[in-house]
Amino acid sequence: MAGPEVVTAKIVLNGRIIGFRQFKKNYFCPVSFNLQTFQMKKLLGLIVIFQLVFLSLVAQNGYPAIDKSPMDMAYFPVGYPVLKIQDKATDPLVARVIYSRPSRGGRAIFNGLVKNGEVWRLGANEATEIQFFQTVHIDGKKIRSGRYTLYAIVKDNAWTIIFNKENDTWGSFKYDTKKDVLRTDVNTQKTDALVENLSMVFEKTATGCNLNIAWENTKVSLPITF
Amino acid sequence: MGKRSFYLSVLVFIFFSCGNKQENKPATDIPSVKDSVPKNKPIGKERSLVPVDISPLDQVYWPENYPTSKMAGQAKSTDPIARVIYSRPHLQGRHIFHEVLKYGEPWRLGANESTELDLHQSLKIQGQKIPAGRYVIYCIPQKDHWTVYLNSNTDSWGLEPDRSKDLYHFDIPVITTDNAIEYFTMRFEENSKGASLLMAWDNIEARLPMEFD
Repeated sequence: MAGPEVVTAKIVLNGRIIGFRQFKKNYFCPVSFNLQTFQMKKLLGLIVIFQLVFLSLVAQNGYPAIDKSPMDMAYFPVGYPVLKIQDKATDPLVARVIYSRPSRGGRAIFNGLVKNGEVWRLGANEATEIQFFQTVHIDGKKIRSGRYTLYAIVKDNAWTIIFNKENDTWGSFKYDTKKDVLRTDVNTQKTDALVENLSMVFEKTATGCNLNIAWENTKVSLPITF
Repeated sequence: MGKRSFYLSVLVFIFFSCGNKQENKPATDIPSVKDSVPKNKPIGKERSLVPVDISPLDQVYWPENYPTSKMAGQAKSTDPIARVIYSRPHLQGRHIFHEVLKYGEPWRLGANESTELDLHQSLKIQGQKIPAGRYVIYCIPQKDHWTVYLNSNTDSWGLEPDRSKDLYHFDIPVITTDNAIEYFTMRFEENSKGASLLMAWDNIEARLPMEFD
């Protein structure tokens, strides 16, 4: 392959990416540094524990490896691409979500990994994207066709879903309220079973569709009308 | 001293190998769904509302890693130049030819949905001007070259491209490499004139050169 073999390692502090460093690729170069801080009351100091995660022997020739939180997408109408090639797509394409799917992996998610009251990227890696192919209404407000970034502020009883105009960004690290297009609150519901991977799916309703979002034991439904 | 440092390095190696294993532990609920089966089928005991796909979706940007550059405040433009959204099938002991692909038959350059090429500005490919927009990209592989097609039938499942919606096609060379790649991989390789869209799987690499308009 062309070019020098360089690997970009993530620097992760308490589960958040705080930076990147590049290394010449070999079998022992790190792919991420996981730092964990522990508040020591008595010592009034911070002890930082490093955990270096090294490149696997099977990592492919310096090409991008498969993400731990794989990306996925959901369409409305549900399954639109399949309907389209079967000539069964009677309703026009309305919406698509592209998001990454972190797994629970035994962790406490809500009020644990995802802190109440903080802006969360509703996914992993790149910011979650929703694209509307026609004008829709959410919470009585008009949203024009186009691409938006989705965020959420999670609380026990309700989530605030945020539509923001800053696209093609990473996570919620540069989230800017000035670029908000819409904020709307939706009530949380309990799921029947634990949901291992963050899941999003559209569901048809009488007036349009709901975007259902579920992870761990929590589910929200965002009504979209058109 | 020599002995001690030897033992130390063995310990260090074991420590890192363990960490490594943990990092690469596969997701437990990846179902074995057939390539052409839609994804919204519930499966598994500790279920995901939507099962995790065996050929995960991924996206690559030009400029490379645009979202992280943007986050770091280092993006040179408010929009990326291009993006590819594709699914990443893996070999699982197969060979790309003829166990997965056949010469002369259209391939969606991925899995599941058609692979999507988003251009945020117009570009030139082999002298042909390509306007900004969303395209389906697929190819017809041959032994000595691939023909890459841009098609307007976006948001379609990738199995049978609608040939009546082909817009452009380009013949590109293929090379055989020594290293086999397990997961189908696409990436933009930037150069002074633009970027080449690399398509690599097994021991085959093909590049579609794109130039600034």
